[in-house]
Amino acid sequence: MKKRILVANRGEIAIRLIRAIQELGYEAIAVYETPDEMSRHIRIADEAVLLGDGPRCDYLNIEKVIRAAKRSEACAIHPGYGFLAENPYFAKACEKTDIVFIGPTSDIIANLGNKVVARQIMAEAGIPMVPGTQTLKQGREGLAEALDFAGHYGYPIMLKATSGGGGRGIRRIESDAEMKEQIPIARAEALAAFNDDSVYLEKVIVNPKHVEVQILADSHGHTVHLGTRDCSIQRRNQKLVEIAPSMIKDKKLIDEICETAVRAAKAARYLNAGTVEFLIDQDMKYYFMEINTRVQVEHTVTEMITGIDIVRNQINIAFGKPLSFTQDDVQIRGHAIEVRINAEDPKNDFMPEGGKKVSVYRSTGGFGVRLDGFVYQGYIIPEVYDSLLVKLTVHGFTWDETVGRLKRCLQNFAIRGPKTTIPFYMNIANEKDFLSGDFDTSYIETHPHIFYYDEDSSEVGKLSRFIAEIQYRGENPFAK
Amino acid sequence: MTRIIQGTPVEDIVKTLRTAKGYYITNTARDQSQSDFKNRILLHTDLMAAEQRDRAGYFSLEITGGASIHVDILRKQVDPFLKLRKLREGMPHTMFQTLCRGVNLFGYRPYPQNIIRFTVREFAKYVDVWRTFDFLNHVPNMHAVFEEVAKAGKLNEPCICFSTGPEHTNEYYVAKAAEIVAVTGQDITLCIKNHGGLGTPKRIGELVDALKQKLPEVPIHYHGHNTDGNDVGRIVEAVRSGATIIDAADSSFSGFYGPPPILTVVQTLKEYGFEPVGLDEEAVIATSEVIRDQRKHYEQFESQIKGFQPTVQIHKLPGGAMGSSLEQAAKGGFLDKMPDILHKELPRVQQELGNYWSVTPGSQILWTTAVSNVLGGERYGNPSGDLRNLLLGKYGPFPFYQPEEWIYQKVLGDDWRRVLAEEGGVEDVPDMDLAHERYALSELIGGEPTDEQLVLYLQHPNDAVEFFKFSEKYGQVYVLPPSIFFHSGGFPIGEKLAFRDHHGKEHMIEIGPTPVNDSGETSVYLIVDHHPSIFNFRAKPVVGQPGEAPVLSKEEILDLAKAGDIRSPFSGKVVEISVEEGQEILVGDRVAIMEAMKMQTPILSEMSGIVTSIFVKKGDSLKPGGKILKIDKNE
Repeated sequence: MKKRILVANRGEIAIRLIRAIQELGYEAIAVYETPDEMSRHIRIADEAVLLGDGPRCDYLNIEKVIRAAKRSEACAIHPGYGFLAENPYFAKACEKTDIVFIGPTSDIIANLGNKVVARQIMAEAGIPMVPGTQTLKQGREGLAEALDFAGHYGYPIMLKATSGGGGRGIRRIESDAEMKEQIPIARAEALAAFNDDSVYLEKVIVNPKHVEVQILADSHGHTVHLGTRDCSIQRRNQKLVEIAPSMIKDKKLIDEICETAVRAAKAARYLNAGTVEFLIDQDMKYYFMEINTRVQVEHTVTEMITGIDIVRNQINIAFGKPLSFTQDDVQIRGHAIEVRINAEDPKNDFMPEGGKKVSVYRSTGGFGVRLDGFVYQGYIIPEVYDSLLVKLTVHGFTWDETVGRLKRCLQNFAIRGPKTTIPFYMNIANEKDFLSGDFDTSYIETHPHIFYYDEDSSEVGKLSRFIAEIQYRGENPFAK
Repeated sequence: MTRIIQGTPVEDIVKTLRTAKGYYITNTARDQSQSDFKNRILLHTDLMAAEQRDRAGYFSLEITGGASIHVDILRKQVDPFLKLRKLREGMPHTMFQTLCRGVNLFGYRPYPQNIIRFTVREFAKYVDVWRTFDFLNHVPNMHAVFEEVAKAGKLNEPCICFSTGPEHTNEYYVAKAAEIVAVTGQDITLCIKNHGGLGTPKRIGELVDALKQKLPEVPIHYHGHNTDGNDVGRIVEAVRSGATIIDAADSSFSGFYGPPPILTVVQTLKEYGFEPVGLDEEAVIATSEVIRDQRKHYEQFESQIKGFQPTVQIHKLPGGAMGSSLEQAAKGGFLDKMPDILHKELPRVQQELGNYWSVTPGSQILWTTAVSNVLGGERYGNPSGDLRNLLLGKYGPFPFYQPEEWIYQKVLGDDWRRVLAEEGGVEDVPDMDLAHERYALSELIGGEPTDEQLVLYLQHPNDAVEFFKFSEKYGQVYVLPPSIFFHSGGFPIGEKLAFRDHHGKEHMIEIGPTPVNDSGETSVYLIVDHHPSIFNFRAKPVVGQPGEAPVLSKEEILDLAKAGDIRSPFSGKVVEISVEEGQEILVGDRVAIMEAMKMQTPILSEMSGIVTSIFVKKGDSLKPGGKILKIDKNE
C-alpha cells in the first residue's frame, strides 16, 4: 500500500499540499468540515474524511484530526498554515501516536512560539534584535516594567502577546496612559486567542521593511536558506503582496541577513521548513523578529526564484531524508510576486464577501504564471473561513518583466459575484513606488489613491450584463 | 467644382457658396431619425454609413441637436459628444451640423445665458454648422448662440421659421432676414426653416427670390419636410430661384415626415440644369445599400399612421413632431379623435394664439392645448404652464397679433390684467453658479465631472446622472447593433452575438438557457468569449425598474381619482405639484402637472376635499398608476 499523508487544512493550501504528496507518489487524505463539503480539495484528494460540522472548531480539534489519520491509515500529517500548524500540542500528539508531523518538533514549536523564549535563544546566539522586554510580570509590577522600558526607549512601543503570531496579538502604544489601559485588554485578548495571557514589549521600528528568509533544515545537520522575501505591503500586519527576493540592492547586507537567518535557525536547533523574519529600519539596520515554524502563505515566490519545491522538501525531511542539495546549489533567478486574491472589498475596509456565489471564474495562464487556488464557477464562498480565493504568483527574469506579467494576469482574471482585491492590486501594479521597488510597511497608508478604481473594468463584462438584461426582460428596458 | 471640406474657414465657405455653379446638399440624417423614427437611429447605424456618407461630398451632415441630445442619453445611452468624436473618426471630410433652438438650446424652456454660452462652446468643438432658430422668430433669443459660434470660428446658419397664412408675407420674412443679417453680418448661410413642409413650390420659389433680391450676398439654405409628399417640388423651385444648399436624406430610410430622398432631388434638378456640387452619386447609392438592412430593426419606432399627410397644410405640425404626436394619440387612446384635433382644433388654436410658427417648443404648446381642448371638453379649461408662459410673453413677443382677451382671462384668471402687468414680458433667466453645479454633479457621480458631463447635466440633470450611472454599469452600449439593442422576445439559445467593444476588441456572446429556479430567480446564461457567465435576476422586479408594476387601466385610474386617490394617467415626469398638504380644493382644480413626450398635461381633481398627503415631488418619474396625492372629503 502507498504511503498516505493526511492534510490537516482546507482551501488553497490543502490543494498545494495534496499536489506535492501525489507528486511524491503518496496518497493524500483530506479532512473537511460540513461548510466545506463543496470544496475542491475533497475531490482532488485520494480520500476525504468529514471531521464534523465545524465551523473551524473541527479543523482545530487535535483529537479528531489524529483519529481521522488513524482511520485512514495515514502515517504522517501536514498541517499547512494556520489552524494547528504552530500548535505544539498537536505536534506532541502526533509524536505520541507515532504519526509523523511534517514540521519541526513540538519542543521547537513551543520555544519559538513563545516570543520571549525565542528572543532569549537569539540573544544568546548574538542575533541583532529589536530592543524588548521579557514577559511582563502580572499586575502592577508588570506595568512598572513597561513604563520603565518606555522611559528608556521612548514611544511608540509594540505590546505583543508572547504566544502570538501571524500578525495577531500586536498593538501599538503611544503613551503611558495608553500603556496602562491596553495591557489588561491585550492580556484578555491573548488569553482568548492563544490560551496564554502573557505579553511583552518591543520598541517600534518606524516604517520598516519586512524581510524574511526561507530556511530548510534536515535531521542530518544541514541547514540552508532559500534567499529573501519582502512582505512589506501589509495592512494591519496582514500581508497582501509578497515578492522575492528583497529589492534591497546592497548584496552584502542581503548575504549577511541570510547567514544570520541560518545562524538563528541553528541556534534554535531548527528542523524542517521555517521562516526567519527581520525588520529593516530606515538606516538599513536589521533586527530579528521571529521564526515562523510553518510553511508560509507566500512560500510560492521563493519556489519560483529557486526552483525548489518547499513542501516536497518538508515531507522528505519529515521522513528523515537528507536535503538533496547544498547551499551552493541554491541559485536565485529573477523575481517573483505573489498577490493574495481575496473575496474582500478593499474600499469597505477589506470587508469579506462571504456568502456570495462566484458566478464567473476565469483564471489566467501563460509563461511564468502560477496559480494556487481552490474556487470554481458556482462556488459559494463560506462565511466562516478566511476570504482567500487564489494566490497569483508570477515570475520573470527582471523586475519590470515580472510587474508587466502581474498586470497582464490581473487584467486577464475575471471573477464575478463577490468583489475581489484584483482591481486594488491592479492599482498597486501601476503605482510608481511599487514599480521602483521602493516600499515599506507604510505603503498602504501612504498611497491612499490605490483605493480608487472601477469595480468591473472589463467592457465585455458590462456589455454582457446589458445583454443579459435584454434577454431577461425580453426587450431593452432602457430604450422604451 | 469641388466640395467644401471640414475645417475650411467660415469666410472661405461662404465665398465658395456665393460663387457656386450648382447647389449643395445637406444630409439631414438627424431630422430623418427624429421625424420618422422617433430619434432612435443608433450611432451604430450612422457609423456603418460613415465611410459612404463621407465620400458622398455633402455640404454637411446634420447629425446632432434638436431633440436628439436628450434621446441620445435617455433612450440610446450614448454620449452625444462621444457620438460626434466617433463619427469624426469615420468622416474626416464632412462638416457636422446641429439644430439649436436658440435660448431654448436643445430643450423646451429658456436657459440662462451662461449655460447657453458654455453649452455652445463645448459642442462647437465638434459642430461646424450651427442652424439656430427661435419659434417666435424673435432674433434676440438667438444672439448668445450667434456670438459663441462666431467666436469658435464656426459657421452660423440663422433661420427664419416659415409658415403660411395672411401674415406670412415675403415682406415680413425679408425684413426678418435683414434683422438677422444686421446682427450676424453676411458671412453666414441663411436657412428657410420649413419644418412643416408648408406652402407650394411656387410660394417657396417666390420667397427665395425675394430674399435673394434683398440679400444677394447671403447664401440660402432651404430646409423642408416631405410630409405632404411635395418637398421635392419646393426644393426644385428654391434652387431655381437661387437657394445654394438644400436638405435631403438617404432613401433607404426615407419615410413620410422627414426630408425627401437625395437621389430624387438630384435627378430632378439635373433636368433643370442644376448640378450638385462635389456630390458622388455612387456613394449616395452605396450609403442606402449599406444601411438598408438595418431598417427592419427600427420598425417599432415608425409612425402609427402610414402614408403622406397633405393635410399638414391645415394642421401645420412640424415633421419632427408628427411621429411623437401620433404615438401619444395611440398610447392615449385618442387616435380616433385625430381628425378633429388636427383638422379643426389645431388650426383654430393656431389662429387664436397669434399664428406663430409651429415648431419646438411652440408646437408642443399648440398641440397640447388643442388636445386638451378636444379631450377636456371646455376649451382652454386646463391650460398648461407653458401656455401660461407663452401668454405672459416669457418666450418673446407675439410676432403678428396677441390672442384675444378671453383667452388671457381663461389662462391667467379673472385678474389677468394684473398678472400680465406684474409677471409679463421676457425676463433674463438668472445665470447659474457653474462651480456649484459642478460640485453638485461630482457629489452625484462620485468624482470630478468633465466639462462635457457638466454640459449634459445642465441640460437634463436627472437623465444625465442616470446616463452616467448606466454607462458605469453597462459600459459603452453604442457598439451594439439595433438587432441586439432593440431586440424583443428574447434571443434563441445558441444565437451568437458578435460585436467590437469601445476599445476596438472583438467579442462573441453566445446565448445560453434562461432557467427559473424554485424561488423564482431567473438565471441568464451567456457564453462570453467562450467562457460561461451567469446573470441572476431576482424573482420580483425591484420597484421603479422596468417590467414591474401592476398596470392599472385608464378606467381604474379614473375610478381611483373619483375616490380622491390621484394617480398618474401615463408614464411621465412630475413638473409641478400645484397644491400643498392641507389645502382645500374643488372638483376640476389643477393639483399637478405631468410631462410626457414634451407635452405638459394638467392633472385635475375629480372631487372636492382636502389634500391629505402628497407622495411625489417635482422631477419624479411615474409609471401609469403611480401615486401622486390623496384627497379626503371635507368633514
